[in-house]
Amino acid sequence: MIKTTRRTALSMFAATAIGLVTAAGLSTAAQAADAIKIGILSLTSHSPSIIAEGKGYFTEQDLDVEFVSFQAAQPMAIAIASGDIDFGMTAISGGLISLAEKGAVRIIGGALQETPEISGQKILASKAAYDAGLTSPDKLAGHTFGVTTPGSSFHYMAHKIADKSGFDRSELKITPMQKVPAVIAALKSGQIDAWSIVPNIAGALTKGPEVVEIGKVSDYIDNYQVTTVFTSTKNVTENRDLVTRFLAGLSKGIADYNAALVDKTMSADEVAEITGMVHKYVYADQPIEKAGPRIAAGAMRINEGAKLNIASVEDQLAWFQSEKLAPEGVTMADLVDTSFVESY
Amino acid sequence: MSLDATNEIETRTRRNTSDLQQSRKGLVKPVPFRGGGFVHTRHRLIAPLLFVVLVILWEVGSQTGFISNIALPAPSEAAGAMSDLFETGMIWKHLSASLYRLVIGWSLGSLIGVFVGLAIALFSLVRAGVSPFISALFPIPKIALLPLFIIWFGIGEGSKVATILFGVFFPTVIATYGGVDNVDRNLIRMGQSFGLSWMSIVRKIIIPGALPAILSGFRISASIAIILLVAAEMIGAEYGIGAYILMAGALFATDQLIAGVAMLSVLGLTVGWLISRAERLLLSWRA
Amino acid sequence: MELILDHVSHSYGDVEVLSDISLSVGSGEIVCIVGPSGCGKSTLLRILGGLEKPDHGAALIAGEPPSDSLNPLTYVFQDFALLPWRTVEGNISLVLEDHSVRKDKARAIITDVLARTKLSEFANAWPRQLSGGMKQRVAIARALSVNPAVMLMDEPLSALDSQTRELLMDDLIELWGQVGFSACYITHNLAEAVRLGHRIVMLSRRPGKIREIVDIDIPLSERINHPAETSAIQRRLWEAMRDEARAADRELSDVA
Ligand SMILES: Nc1ncnc2c1ncn2[C@@H]1O[C@H](COP(=O)(O)OP(=O)(O)O)[C@@H](O)[C@H]1O
Ligand SMILES: [Mg+2]
Repeated sequence: MIKTTRRTALSMFAATAIGLVTAAGLSTAAQAADAIKIGILSLTSHSPSIIAEGKGYFTEQDLDVEFVSFQAAQPMAIAIASGDIDFGMTAISGGLISLAEKGAVRIIGGALQETPEISGQKILASKAAYDAGLTSPDKLAGHTFGVTTPGSSFHYMAHKIADKSGFDRSELKITPMQKVPAVIAALKSGQIDAWSIVPNIAGALTKGPEVVEIGKVSDYIDNYQVTTVFTSTKNVTENRDLVTRFLAGLSKGIADYNAALVDKTMSADEVAEITGMVHKYVYADQPIEKAGPRIAAGAMRINEGAKLNIASVEDQLAWFQSEKLAPEGVTMADLVDTSFVESY
Repeated sequence: MSLDATNEIETRTRRNTSDLQQSRKGLVKPVPFRGGGFVHTRHRLIAPLLFVVLVILWEVGSQTGFISNIALPAPSEAAGAMSDLFETGMIWKHLSASLYRLVIGWSLGSLIGVFVGLAIALFSLVRAGVSPFISALFPIPKIALLPLFIIWFGIGEGSKVATILFGVFFPTVIATYGGVDNVDRNLIRMGQSFGLSWMSIVRKIIIPGALPAILSGFRISASIAIILLVAAEMIGAEYGIGAYILMAGALFATDQLIAGVAMLSVLGLTVGWLISRAERLLLSWRA
Repeated sequence: MELILDHVSHSYGDVEVLSDISLSVGSGEIVCIVGPSGCGKSTLLRILGGLEKPDHGAALIAGEPPSDSLNPLTYVFQDFALLPWRTVEGNISLVLEDHSVRKDKARAIITDVLARTKLSEFANAWPRQLSGGMKQRVAIARALSVNPAVMLMDEPLSALDSQTRELLMDDLIELWGQVGFSACYITHNLAEAVRLGHRIVMLSRRPGKIREIVDIDIPLSERINHPAETSAIQRRLWEAMRDEARAADRELSDVA
């Protein structure tokens, strides 16, 4: 691609320039830190890298981090493919798999995971559908189920619910709404019957009269690896050291995140400090008094050390392929590089 | 005069000229020709030829890796996605879903648009009341209103048809009343002077006179309808070319994306051709 | 039937266009109105035909129009005013349709007027295919088809070149010989007025007042044989009009 070429040329030029400067003996400072760009969404689940940056864990690894905000997961994956950012963290989607098949991106670790003991994603029904008898997820047959796009994690969850409940996937009427706010509007107004979503959004919705919680995703999918950490294939093959250092920094951020927001083993002061860091990127449009509780409510466990649940990823890949939402030829080796983190 | 005679005169004239050139060498030369260019000649084959050459270059670029397959899929891959559509028969599901929305949305939008346009043009009270609203609402991107359309018309066919309908309505209104405003006033005077009824003047003078403008409005509104198809099918659409393109985008299936876009182009060409036919039929008097 | 203007005055805003004009067009009579450009000739004709209301005075009809006249006061316009999307035949049937003239009867009328205006072979031609002279013939045929009591002709030959104008004048004279129509014929061309008018009314520059009325006794068909008399009248009219025309030409005007 032209972009990459130009960048390579530029860095070559930069290298030459530095070489010249060094040769002239004008500058003898230590090698500059590696600059990396991390894509984030304004969600609590993206806190670990923010915390790692705030606490200096990336600096320890000699990494100079810049955050790039995205509105959705899909463009983040594409930005990695185009080389505009280096690392990202989102749900496994059809787009991500397709980019992996094209040799552009690789999953290098796990992040958000459903575990039975932590409040995870919820299954919701509109009040109208609930009143009409949709009181539990196994009654979803014949109902509309909101998703952002076909091949999104919502789509996967819907079909896993169908599988476990024992009705045919095609009996669920998958309704693409493109964006989360649109799904919310449709659910509230009863235009769609059901949806599944992270606990903080679910909690906010069920407080109102229009939406009712009818179940938990973790009852239908075992140890669901919701989001993963990924980078470009080029980094995986040519910059392994960089990837390792990024994951080391991230892991310390994850540990702090879990301690502060999930397990709540930190002191109030430390929690406040961490919340303050996160607030710079998450719910930044609200005052800290309001944003703090919302950040805390959105906290789901993120795997220590970015451990990756291979079984779950395999199941997801199989599902995408069975629904023809991912190319048939993709293998786990195309999608995942298991050499960086512990996997199980 | 016989043909031979004409020829003879012509040759004689020519001989005379060359005689002149010879006898007054250096003094006489032809007036330099300066009238060339700036004339459209028809080249029917150029467009298809250029298209084929571009596709071949593109394919070669993709095959050799000069064009990364992340940046752009090879045309053969897009063709593969297209043939998958035909093999599975999905193309008919997508096409029929989209055509249904296009036809209903465009027809209703055009019909209402022409009526409102005529009303604005013919009744100054309506013009004073309605035309500022038209001007104010026309530039609003209908996509921005999609969330409202969903509440008003539901996520079924209603909001999809409505998106297209509104997109078509405004340009049609403007084309119609612009067309009526441009009808030769003298023709209307003539109608009045012969004692034609108001209805006759509208039917036989004003509407035919505005028809060229209305038809070129249709050309634009049909393109707008196709553009809005993708937006209309963003919400709750299982089938449809727009839904197919959106899904291809979400899955980063660029081959399908290009196949879908090609379908839109073909749709656009077809609609353009149909409107040209309609123009030739209805405006044969212009020739 | 007689068409009368009774002390008509008219202004557009502050601009007085016509001032106290009285005249009449009798049966079978062609009244030519001449005057410098912008003196209100077209306005006068619009008032005569009921397309405009005068500020003062009135346009009056004395006597009943012939019972078979579909549209007693019928215009012929300078720019022909043919519908480009109707054929020659269609343009004529347009004005018959609204007077509920049925198929066969309409066909008979159309055939008749086309024959009279020497257009029979062009019944199915489009206006764009016709020359200016032919177009004006169609417009005249259309006017004849409704059997008018008075034809109101606003510079009908002004858009044509001079040869075509000559030909059409001959045709009009021949037509008048057959049908004997009455007309109020507006022109700024004195030669036309002298060839076609039984009476010539000359208006002054704006505000238009009647400056002179000249009756010409020589029958229309014979005027060509009296070049001396007609050119004398024409010269006299020109003398009277020259200064008016010069002054009118130097006036500023907002509306063409
Ligand atoms: N509808 C109108 N509104 C305002 N002024 C007009 C209108 N029609 C004509 N006039 C003015 O009235 C004057 C006479 O116009 P017109 O009757 O067309 O003159 P003529 O036909 O003799 O050239 C002109 O000065 C013209 O500008
Ligand atoms: Mg005039």
